[in-house]
Amino acid sequence: MSRKQLDTSLLTLAALVAFGLPLVVTSPTYLQILILLFFYAYLTTAWNLVGGFAGVLPLGHSVFVGIGAYTSTILTLQYGVSPWIGMLLGGVLAAVVGVVIGLPTFRMRGAYFCLCTIAFAEGIRVMVENIDYLGPLHVNGPRGLLIPLKEASFWHYQFMSKLPYYYIILVMLLVVLALTWFISRSKIGYYLAAGGEEPEAAAALGVNVANCKLLAMALSCFFTALAGTFYAQLMLYFYPKGLMGLDLSFEIAFIALIGGRGTIAGPVIGALVLRPLNEFTRIYLSDMLPGLHLVIFGLILILVMLYKPQGLTAPLAAAYDRLARRITRDTTPKGEAA
Amino acid sequence: MTAVIQATLNGIMMGAMYGLTALGLTLIFGVMKVVNFAHGSLLMVGMFSAYWLIKLTGIHPYLALLIVPPILYFFGYSLQDLVIKPVFKAERQVREPLTVIIVTTGVWYVLDNLALMLFGAEYRTVRTAISNKSFALGQFIISIPKFSGFVVAVATAVGLALFMRKTKIGMALRATSLDREAANLMGIDQYKVYNIAFGLGTAIAGIAGCVLIPFYYVYPSVGVVFDIRAFIIVVLGGLGSIPGALLGGLVIGLIESVFSQFMASTWTEAIIYAIFLVILFVKPSGFFGNKQDW
Repeated sequence: MSRKQLDTSLLTLAALVAFGLPLVVTSPTYLQILILLFFYAYLTTAWNLVGGFAGVLPLGHSVFVGIGAYTSTILTLQYGVSPWIGMLLGGVLAAVVGVVIGLPTFRMRGAYFCLCTIAFAEGIRVMVENIDYLGPLHVNGPRGLLIPLKEASFWHYQFMSKLPYYYIILVMLLVVLALTWFISRSKIGYYLAAGGEEPEAAAALGVNVANCKLLAMALSCFFTALAGTFYAQLMLYFYPKGLMGLDLSFEIAFIALIGGRGTIAGPVIGALVLRPLNEFTRIYLSDMLPGLHLVIFGLILILVMLYKPQGLTAPLAAAYDRLARRITRDTTPKGEAA
Repeated sequence: MTAVIQATLNGIMMGAMYGLTALGLTLIFGVMKVVNFAHGSLLMVGMFSAYWLIKLTGIHPYLALLIVPPILYFFGYSLQDLVIKPVFKAERQVREPLTVIIVTTGVWYVLDNLALMLFGAEYRTVRTAISNKSFALGQFIISIPKFSGFVVAVATAVGLALFMRKTKIGMALRATSLDREAANLMGIDQYKVYNIAFGLGTAIAGIAGCVLIPFYYVYPSVGVVFDIRAFIIVVLGGLGSIPGALLGGLVIGLIESVFSQFMASTWTEAIIYAIFLVILFVKPSGFFGNKQDW
């Protein structure tokens, strides 16, 4: 077996496990935990397009989740538009907003960029909380929006069981992962990496760093907004503080950093590590001592940054590499190895 | 009109508290080029330290000013030495130490939630002899704890500025802030300077905690209120600038207090964010900031 065959078969196996998991996991609670795991992996992968590859640290992505959720939900509630259409419109709107924000902010250095994204996201959240009606649109201020149960159908993006949601978010995750893979191997990906590390040098070599970053930002915001619609249809209720707060923005960045930002598998590995930990410590420890699960969360973050500042993906990839070399050496006849 | 002037006075005094918080943040940023997301949590630690000290020993609230800041100095010093320095060293080659920002965020999560575990979520306040005292200035009423806070804030800013100008350590801090490589070559231990800067920043958060506690509630996530304000203030005044932090604090306090006379207080928050973004786009270096920094 060659290395390429090994990689392909393992990836296929992982995909099969992901698609087959609901056969084993039938409890709605656990299915919901899995859905949220993929949801966060998806969000972080979308964040990674700009936060990982472009070398900046945006900390206000929850605002784009909010744009997605509000666009599709208001369109559904007031105009009867299918959430699927609202989802795409929300994505486009988020991409436009992302570019408008990116135009002035990408000139800034790291710390200013961070603070700017936070201020932008928090400012929008506070405004949404203060607005009942935006023109004809019913925003409903801090109370948020409730999506009434209609008939379960694909068109209404409402289903009887959790299962369709599971497959929707899984497919969304695979699409955005494939896109990340494609970008990381394209010219734009190399330009982004160069611009993120040495903007001046990249610019001197004729790379239009600003345009590449704006494209990455637009894509990232578009996909982030799609997650907003998904969340709205999954929960059927959301409010500004819960959906657009700093907590979500920070958690996305945490997952990316623990997994390894700028890598393809990083967001998935980060979500695989942090989400179950977060859910189970919350379920089992928060009754005992409120806040304990977040202390653990913070400590893990600090420890990973102390010992593996590049995130967990790099050491895991190295371990897999060693293992794969051993396997391929064991099973291939002499002369074909390496 | 009277109401507006009264609101202005209140705004100046509350603004001085924001400025005092921002002072520690701007000191740490100026020297280390790191936005310390844990700063609000360090303020919370300062407030809880003052709270328990006053509650358990019954000393006069302002005596805590002699005890809490030194404790906080060592807390900040060790925190930087044990937790932040190793990450900083690992990122030595990087001009923008973004991982360090995330580590300070981790510290924020740990501190806030440790406080939640230990003390619960309730709002606490110390009722002391001076808590409800006030004096009249013409027809305007000025609360004594708030006024004392204002005086302490100004004194701290002046003291810090003198310290930075006149002492050897202050010069080392400024040298490192200007050019860490050159400072290293001149025999300044960069990481020791960072420890001192972080310790001083934390001590200032301790001072703020002591003067806030007679009139402000303390709860585990109280830092977030001051954190966001402090970020806005340091950008407004210029990241790294001491007078900028105080002036920025006064401006934000004024906006908050005067605007809330005319509209819902949640809208004043939105206005603050909007002003912040406008400043970032128009003049990112702030009132007194260094152009090279942004």
